[in-house]
Amino acid sequence: MIGWESLPADVPSRLWMAAAVLIGGVVLGYLVGAINKRLLRSAGVPEVIEGTGFERTARNFGTSTVSILGWFSVVFIVVVAFFAAMDIAKVSYAAPLWMLLVGFLPQLFVAMAVIFVGMVLGDKAELATSERLRGVKLPESGLIPKVVKWSVLYIAALVALGQVGLATEALLLLLAAYAAALIVFLALALRQLLPAGAAGIYLLLNQPYSIGDRVEINGKSGIVQEVSVFTTAIEAEGREHVVPNHVVLQDGITRVRD
Amino acid sequence: MGTVRDLAADIATDVESLLLFSPSGAYYDGCTDLDVPVIVVAKENSVGADTFVELPLEFNDVRERVQFGIEGALEKGAIADGDTVAAAYSLEGEEIETISRVRASEEDHSGVYDMFVNSRADPSVVRDVLDIAVELGKKGQKGKNVGALFVVGDAGKVMNKSRALSYNPFEKSHVHVGDPIVRVMLKEFSRLDGAFVISDAGKIVSAYRYLEPSAEGVDIPKGLGTRHMAAGAITRDTNAITIVLSESDGLVRAFKGGELILELDPEDY
Repeated sequence: MIGWESLPADVPSRLWMAAAVLIGGVVLGYLVGAINKRLLRSAGVPEVIEGTGFERTARNFGTSTVSILGWFSVVFIVVVAFFAAMDIAKVSYAAPLWMLLVGFLPQLFVAMAVIFVGMVLGDKAELATSERLRGVKLPESGLIPKVVKWSVLYIAALVALGQVGLATEALLLLLAAYAAALIVFLALALRQLLPAGAAGIYLLLNQPYSIGDRVEINGKSGIVQEVSVFTTAIEAEGREHVVPNHVVLQDGITRVRD
Repeated sequence: MGTVRDLAADIATDVESLLLFSPSGAYYDGCTDLDVPVIVVAKENSVGADTFVELPLEFNDVRERVQFGIEGALEKGAIADGDTVAAAYSLEGEEIETISRVRASEEDHSGVYDMFVNSRADPSVVRDVLDIAVELGKKGQKGKNVGALFVVGDAGKVMNKSRALSYNPFEKSHVHVGDPIVRVMLKEFSRLDGAFVISDAGKIVSAYRYLEPSAEGVDIPKGLGTRHMAAGAITRDTNAITIVLSESDGLVRAFKGGELILELDPEDY
């Protein structure tokens, strides 16, 4: 049994305490890392992010997003333990610097985590959008997934920068301009579609007319061939009129029964 | 004295294009710098080929598969009438192991490609309905053979050329033929008499329809029953196509323009 008295006198006991804190930190970090990895796996994160660019890059380096996140928490705890140990050991010559760093550390780690999540989310959003747009064979449609990805990344970067307390006003202004442009653009683009869609939902739910009925809408008469969310198709003598649904509600319909 | 290699070379001499059936990516890459144009025929264009013909179903009969590819290529203008083409496909398994020499001719045109691509209904809807008919033919209802009649496309006109035998179970519903639930549902409903009516976009408009087309000038093979007669006749009167599962012989047949254009045995798929 070694008591405190038998320790070499020239090593102060606080150094031993500091070493204990450091070792404790490493063990705790390792445990938390392992638990984190397991939690992420059971939450289905690997399946969700499968195929994203980030995950593929991680795989190329023989690791995976989940392990990187696990290591991330390990590093965080070990670094905190290291600074705690330094504090206990009262290594005084750079104390002010450490205090600054210790205060700054959590923010830095949160910022890094945000960037990390932003990258994975951005990749995932890009993948999901391109999957959705696969049926659209337009060369321009390749741009949309990229825009989605970079928008997510931009917002993540903004949050991260705000977290570490850097000046983000200019970037925020850019974001506001971007959002405003997007809203104006969508409002313009959806100005016609939205009323048609709302009317279409009513028509589909209530079915005032159905496929096979002879109707007259806005001077066009014929047999209803199709009712979809946005349009109604009526056909007569080899001509198929595709009428937007809000016109159906605005002008009313005449069902021809004879 | 020639070798087997020369025989193979004879088959491939002076062909105007090459049809590749469901090639793997590596196989396709090996064929891109040939001296003849390459046309890929597959379920989906996974190799990114410039000229591509979509196979709506895996024809087990190789002749039907090649015929479909040729009709598709003719339709797309990738090959011309009278061209001699080489077709590379696999008889068994995934790897391409067979090459044959075929003359493309517009005369022996089976109309299967035409049915999928030039129908009023979407090709995917036609494929879904064909899938359902084949599956119904394979399994039947409680081990017994069932019959069914699907009228696809031009639903408005079909509804006006038919009357309800009973209440329409699909009234005010929005069921699409591609929905997974349909497979279960239609199996139950296949006990019902009458036809299913499906719209261009794949919505099931009605079941229990009694078709009332005029059967004048409908020429279908003798020996088929009233169901097939009705199926053939409605396609003359409207722009719909019909897909029929026969209760007596278990075959799936498709009609367009009053003619039988496809006949297949569900057991083969």
